[in-house]
Amino acid sequence: MIAVLVIILGYMLYRGIGAINVSFFTDLPKPVGEPGGGIANAIVGSAIMLVVAILLSLPIGVLAAIYLSEFGHGWFAQTLRFLTDVLAGIPSIVVGIFAYTLIVIPMRSFSGWAGGVALAIIMLPVIIRTTEEMLRLVPQSLRDGGLAVGAPKWRVTVDIVLASSISGIATGTLLAISRALGETAPLLFTALGSSLWTTNLERPMASMPVQIYTYAISPYDEWHQKAWAAAFTLVAIIFVLNVVVRFLTRSKHG
Amino acid sequence: MRLKSRLITTGMLSLALLAGACGGASDGPVKPGGESNSGGLAIQGAGATFPYPLYSKWISEYNKKNPSLKIDYQSIGSGGGIKQITERTVDFGATDAPMNDEQLKAAPKEILHIPTVLGAVVVTYNLPEAKNPIQLDGPTVAAIFMGDIKKWNDPKIAAMNEGAALPDKDIAVVHRSDGSGTTAIFVDYMAKVSPEWKDKVGVGTSVNWPTGIGGKGNEGVSGSVKQTPGSIGYVELIYAKQNNLSVASIKNSAGKFVTPSLESVTAAASGVAARIPDDLRVSVTNADGEASYPISGFTYLLVYKDQDDAVKAKALVEFIWWALAEGEKMAADLGYSALPPEVLTKAQAKVRLINVGGKTFVP
Repeated sequence: MIAVLVIILGYMLYRGIGAINVSFFTDLPKPVGEPGGGIANAIVGSAIMLVVAILLSLPIGVLAAIYLSEFGHGWFAQTLRFLTDVLAGIPSIVVGIFAYTLIVIPMRSFSGWAGGVALAIIMLPVIIRTTEEMLRLVPQSLRDGGLAVGAPKWRVTVDIVLASSISGIATGTLLAISRALGETAPLLFTALGSSLWTTNLERPMASMPVQIYTYAISPYDEWHQKAWAAAFTLVAIIFVLNVVVRFLTRSKHG
Repeated sequence: MRLKSRLITTGMLSLALLAGACGGASDGPVKPGGESNSGGLAIQGAGATFPYPLYSKWISEYNKKNPSLKIDYQSIGSGGGIKQITERTVDFGATDAPMNDEQLKAAPKEILHIPTVLGAVVVTYNLPEAKNPIQLDGPTVAAIFMGDIKKWNDPKIAAMNEGAALPDKDIAVVHRSDGSGTTAIFVDYMAKVSPEWKDKVGVGTSVNWPTGIGGKGNEGVSGSVKQTPGSIGYVELIYAKQNNLSVASIKNSAGKFVTPSLESVTAAASGVAARIPDDLRVSVTNADGEASYPISGFTYLLVYKDQDDAVKAKALVEFIWWALAEGEKMAADLGYSALPPEVLTKAQAKVRLINVGGKTFVP
C-alpha cells in the first residue's frame, strides 16, 4: 500500500517538479509560451467551494445519521438508508447536470454556488453512512447509563453518543472531503473554471481538478508539466488534511 | 477535558474557514452578465478546446491594455459552446464546427458566426519503415478508415508512394471515441471525396466507425498512434507537431500532394472565400487552389447579434474587433493559421452587426 502511494506521488513529482516554485502557488494561470504562472486561483476556488459544500452537507448529513442511528426504526428509516445508498451510487457527472439544471440555467451564469452544491450532494451520502456507522459503535450500555441518571434522550445523544464518536465523524467527513476535492465531472458544468481571481460565488470559479483537466488535454508539454504539478499539489493537500484531522481527533484510548 | 479542547480547536478552525469563505462571498452580489464589484466588467466565454490556448493568449494580452475588464474563456468542447450560448449562460460561445440549422433554430435569438482562425486535421501514422512522408489521396484515406485497405503495402498506397519501403503490416486505425469538431472536419472531407463513405458512415461530430480503436481527445489519438507501430489516425495539426508525429501529405482537388502547414491551410481558406455564404458557415474541406491543404476548417466565435446590455456589448465588440485586428498576428506563433484577408473582412462585417437596440459599437 505504502509502496503504491510512494510510487504515485514520486511519479507525479518527477513529471511536475519543473513547474513547482513559489509563483506556482501564488500566481494566476498564464497563456502558453509565457514563463511562470500558477494555480493560486484554482487552490482558492477549490477551498471556497469545499467550504460551501461542507456547510451544506455536514449539518444535514450528521442530523440524518443521528436520526437513522438513534431514532429511526421503521420503514421511513429503511427508505432513507436505501436512498442514501442510491445517492452514493449516482455518477458524479449526473450530479453535475442536476446542479446545472437547478442553479446554472435559472441564474443564467455558471457559479461557485452551483459547484459547491454539486460537491455537497456528492459528500452527503458518504457523511451520512460513515457517521451512522460510527454512532452505532457507541455501546448501548453508555446510552443506558445516561438515561439511568435521568438525562433526557437528546442529552444522551449529544453528550454521550455524539461526543464519543466525534473522531469517527471527523474521519467520515474527511473521506467525503477527499472525494469531493478530486472531483472534476460535477464542476465542469457548474463552476466551469476560470483563469481569473474568483472569490465571488456568483461568478464562474476555478478549481484544481478542472485546471488539471484543462492543462492535461492541451497539446503543450509545458502545460502537461503544470498538470502533473497541480495533481501532485492536490494529492499533497488531501494527504496533509488527512494528517491534520487525524491529529486533532486522535482517539483518547491510544 | 482533552476532548473539549479538541472540539474547540476544530470549531475555531472551521470558523476561520467560514470567515474566509464569507470574505470571498461578500464581494457583493453580481447579476449574471452585470458588473462585478471586485473590479469592473466581466465577460464569460466557453466552448471549443482547439482554440483555447490562443484565446487565453488574446485575453491575457488584451487585459494588459484594459486591466479593468475581466474576460475569461473556458474550454468545454464545441458541443458545450453551442449549448451554453443557446442557454445564454455565457456571453460568447466558440465552436469548431458551425452550428447546424436545427441548432440555430433552438437559440432564442439570432447567433452570429465569427471565424477567428483555422485548424487543420492531419492524417498521422506510425511507420518506422517509411523514411519519407507518405502521400495519400482522399479516397485511399477513406478506404483505410473504412477498413477496405488493410495492409500498408496495398497496391493503392504503393502506387502513390513509389520507392517507399512499405512493409507487409496490418494497418491499425485509431479514431476519436468522443464527439469532436476534429472528427466533424475529417469526416466532412471523407464524405466529399468518397461516395461510399457518404453512404455508409456519414458526417457529424461523432460517427459510427466501421473499424479501428477509439482514443479520447486529440491527446488520446496522438498517444495511441505514438505507441502502436503500423497505426494511422487523425489529429489537429498542432498535436502532431508537438508530439513529433509523422504526417501524410494529402492530394488536394487540384491534384497536388500538399503537406499540412499554417500556410497551406490559410491557402485553403482563400480557396473557399469566393463561395462563402452570408452567414459564414462554410466547410473548407477539399478547397480549390494548388497550394490548398484539403482537410481544414474555421473555428468560430458565437455571439448574439442583438444584445441586451450596452456596456457589456461594447466591451465584447471591442475585444473581438481587437482580436481580429491584432490577435491574428499572434496566431502563427502558437500554431494556428490566420484568416486570409478576404475572410477577415467578412468576419469584421459580422462584428459590425452586433448591436443593442440598433446601436452598433465598432470604432
